[in-house]
Amino acid sequence: MSRRVVALLTVVLLVMAVLPPAARSQEPVKLTFWSWRTEDKWAYDRMIRLFQSRNPGIRVEFIPFRPTEYNTILSSGLTAGKGPDIIHLRAYGGLETFSAAGHIAPLDFDRVPELRRFSLQTLTGARGRKDGKLYGVPFATQTLVVFYNKKILAQHNLSLPKSWNEFLGVLKSLKDRGVTPLANGAKEGWTLEVLSGVVAPNFYGGSTFFEAVTRGQTTFRDPTYTNAIAKMLDLRPYMATGFMGVDYATMQQLFINEQAAMFIGGSWEIGFFRQQNKNLDFDVFALPAERADQAPWVSSFADGNYGINAKTPHMDAALKFIRFTATTEFGQMFTDLLSQTSAVPGVVIKDPVLKNVQSMNRKATPYIMLVGFRWQAPTGSTLLQSALQAMMAGTMTPAQVGEEVTRGLSAWVESFRR
Amino acid sequence: MSARDRRRPRSPWGPLVQVLLVANAVLVLAPILLMCLSAFKTTREIFQNPFALPAVWSLDNFAKVWVEARFGQYFQNSVIVTAASAAILVAFGAMASYALGRFTFRGNDLLYVYFLSGLLLPIRLAIIPLFILMRNLGLLDSLWSLILIYAASGLPSAVFILTGFFRTLPADLDSAARIDGAGEWAIFTRVMLPLVRPALVIVTIYNIIPIWNDFFFPLVFIKSEHLKTLPLGMTTFFGQYYTDFAALFAGLTLAAVPVVVLYVVLSQHFIRGLTAGAVKG
Amino acid sequence: MRASRRLWLAFFLAPATLLFAVFVTYPIFSALAYSLYEWEGIARRGFIGLGNFVRLFQTFPYPRLLGNAFWHNVVVFALTMLIQNVAGLAFALILSRGPRGARVYRVIYFLPVTLSLVIVGFMWALFLNPVFGVVNKGLAAVGLGALARPWLGDPQTALITLTLINAWRWVGFPTLVFLAGINAIPDEYLEAARIDGASEWQATRNVIFPLLAPAFTIIVTLTFIGSFNWFELPYVVQGLSGPPNRATDVLGLLFYRTAFGEVDTGLQDIGVGSAIAVLMFIVMVAVSTFGALYLRRREVEVA
Repeated sequence: MSRRVVALLTVVLLVMAVLPPAARSQEPVKLTFWSWRTEDKWAYDRMIRLFQSRNPGIRVEFIPFRPTEYNTILSSGLTAGKGPDIIHLRAYGGLETFSAAGHIAPLDFDRVPELRRFSLQTLTGARGRKDGKLYGVPFATQTLVVFYNKKILAQHNLSLPKSWNEFLGVLKSLKDRGVTPLANGAKEGWTLEVLSGVVAPNFYGGSTFFEAVTRGQTTFRDPTYTNAIAKMLDLRPYMATGFMGVDYATMQQLFINEQAAMFIGGSWEIGFFRQQNKNLDFDVFALPAERADQAPWVSSFADGNYGINAKTPHMDAALKFIRFTATTEFGQMFTDLLSQTSAVPGVVIKDPVLKNVQSMNRKATPYIMLVGFRWQAPTGSTLLQSALQAMMAGTMTPAQVGEEVTRGLSAWVESFRR
Repeated sequence: MSARDRRRPRSPWGPLVQVLLVANAVLVLAPILLMCLSAFKTTREIFQNPFALPAVWSLDNFAKVWVEARFGQYFQNSVIVTAASAAILVAFGAMASYALGRFTFRGNDLLYVYFLSGLLLPIRLAIIPLFILMRNLGLLDSLWSLILIYAASGLPSAVFILTGFFRTLPADLDSAARIDGAGEWAIFTRVMLPLVRPALVIVTIYNIIPIWNDFFFPLVFIKSEHLKTLPLGMTTFFGQYYTDFAALFAGLTLAAVPVVVLYVVLSQHFIRGLTAGAVKG
Repeated sequence: MRASRRLWLAFFLAPATLLFAVFVTYPIFSALAYSLYEWEGIARRGFIGLGNFVRLFQTFPYPRLLGNAFWHNVVVFALTMLIQNVAGLAFALILSRGPRGARVYRVIYFLPVTLSLVIVGFMWALFLNPVFGVVNKGLAAVGLGALARPWLGDPQTALITLTLINAWRWVGFPTLVFLAGINAIPDEYLEAARIDGASEWQATRNVIFPLLAPAFTIIVTLTFIGSFNWFELPYVVQGLSGPPNRATDVLGLLFYRTAFGEVDTGLQDIGVGSAIAVLMFIVMVAVSTFGALYLRRREVEVA
């Protein structure tokens, strides 16, 4: 290549980099929509297509990120004054960070009249704690459950356990017969928090403890709590090979490919499991309580909200889209496509597994750290996730976990200071 | 190099040495080879026969990754950023080095040391002010933010290497040209630059590989999907296809191939270029 | 003529000087200044002196996170010196004797250095997957199944494994730097030693090692800076929070999380983030300056 060609190429490349795409006047408004729901992209693309066919002047692009990095990416994007127009926001404290910083636009009933129909309880996850304003349209309620492979259990003549000991018995029988009983791993701390959300409430007494600890009457040092998370240790022998290194993707793969009999996780998995393996015959159960005559607790929470970037140049278009997400039509489509419980009122659940989840919610308790202790840093979730990894690796006792979490939270939870 | 053979008597450890060398070569090459092989397989095959050759040499994974995962776009961005920042830094670096290496003026040494100080300063630790600076300049989320920071932070190495070269050129070269009536610009481009061409190659390679591979600055500066460079795009891609091992391996292979091919063709230049900061001469 | 010369000088020097001043010098000085201010998001508030440093050293959990991360950087540096650089030196000594295929080995060993750490990290993360990855499967295939473990998930092995991945990528670099150093040693020196009846090892120790001192200094300095700048590999393989239970947390990750948003809340603390950056800055500049000065002295002595 002669030097002149190189120089020419460089100039061309530079010009390509610098010039904005030629401005065309009739271009539709383009909205970007950031999310952490990588698995749900296909469904969002379909719902967006419906919206676009009704609103030909608006294009929406759904861009998902790795869930564990989403908040950081979103945060630095919004501070940069860039960020998306439509934001998939988490609920509770995860929303508070952005609302308190003024990054997201408040949405009152006048701007989004559809929100009037939502129940007050669903809307708590969409409210800023400081100012009490609404910042988003809630999209789903999630419940933490045990998924099981019906075929594998039937093959080994195992029936659903009625008590904690029976549950351990089932796991043991599976292991004895060479089946990996639990797909769960510990490489990603949040999957351990989910595990604790399934195992612990039955042993700490569900909402009674939640009320007590959020009102400051007790702390996580309470043996009621530490003995409850200690039960997680009983599951270690039944988790996937090398579970300390098993990440979320591997957990899902193990269950989807029928290499593990059970998967302790959240109701958001249903749609993904179905989509990945059409032949997977699975259902859910609530982890049984200590005794067979006790109804089990399940942890549940408002998953998150759709919000609007306060600095979006396309506020009207964004509002149009946000109002669309609050319609029963959207909610129904969301539930049908993704098999998740939409937060929109009036949605009919058809999925049998999801119906099952719904019936468990009769005895639901708030998912403790997410609902109660994510309002400031360090959050209960961060602290618990790290400490649980240490506990599962055997380098921390349950009592130390309780101590660690309480001590960390005392930075901003006054009642936790001794 | 062949003189080396005569340097010391052949030791009786010869065979053992060869075993060691081969073992390390396998350790280096096997993972890369396995990655390339896996890219042709299906996910199921990867899990079941990880070490076997693919049953069918299928390009499906590559096609999927290139089209669905926007690899084409990422690739283009990486090329633009790398080419533009290398062009700017070599041009500006050569001009400054020419002045520093061939002219005597007050403050010459000071300016030289000023540029060289950049070799010791870890620029990444200034990422917060850079973030705010780029934001104030309206350059966040544009390829310019990357081009400017790469060009600027590459200058110290360019000045260091090129000034050294300019200084070694015979003193009467430019004076002779000047007597012939050549203009300053002509002396620089026609007489001087061709003579330091090997150094220009070293400077270019020393800088373009780290720029091509950089992940940190795009992570902080780039937010839009269509502006992501290859390393940053890879993380998005891994987030989206995390259950599809076959696609992941195809993506990794696609991202690695250009550099590996270029390296195999130009390995001597690469080795000299990339160790330029640590090896003199 | 004088004026035009001055103009030409300005023309040659201005672009580089300007670019360097705006995008390197100014940000670095700002970084030092930022740590002395109070921050709200990315809005700078009042001057608070060492307030951010006080918080960094006294408010839970910062001191513990800082100590933990710093210790890990030290461990990474020590392990890298011990594994990667010793191996590099050994290969350099072997290759300098011109065994068959030396040129090819040089090219092969250096190959991973050209690969992006993002590629290297993701590739090894896939290989090290405890269920599907080839490493544990390979161990089982050769009858070493008992050694299989969750390399990246076990707090005992996670950091070491990351360091080994890093060494896999980098080992060609010290190899070739040492090799160049050895090849630059005049043959007469070694001949003289041999005539004096020195064994191969004695010749290596008494002639080659002292003359390799500049290369040692450069490699030690670069390894130190690399270890304290560590970010990409832990980020790509383990994620931002340094799991399990901060066993792979390093200063780079801590700095990034603090400045650009925590993993779960997205909360930013630019004040404390800047304070961490300043600490890292001081450590790195001190060591690289020391390295450079030491190198200068050695060179003078040898010459």
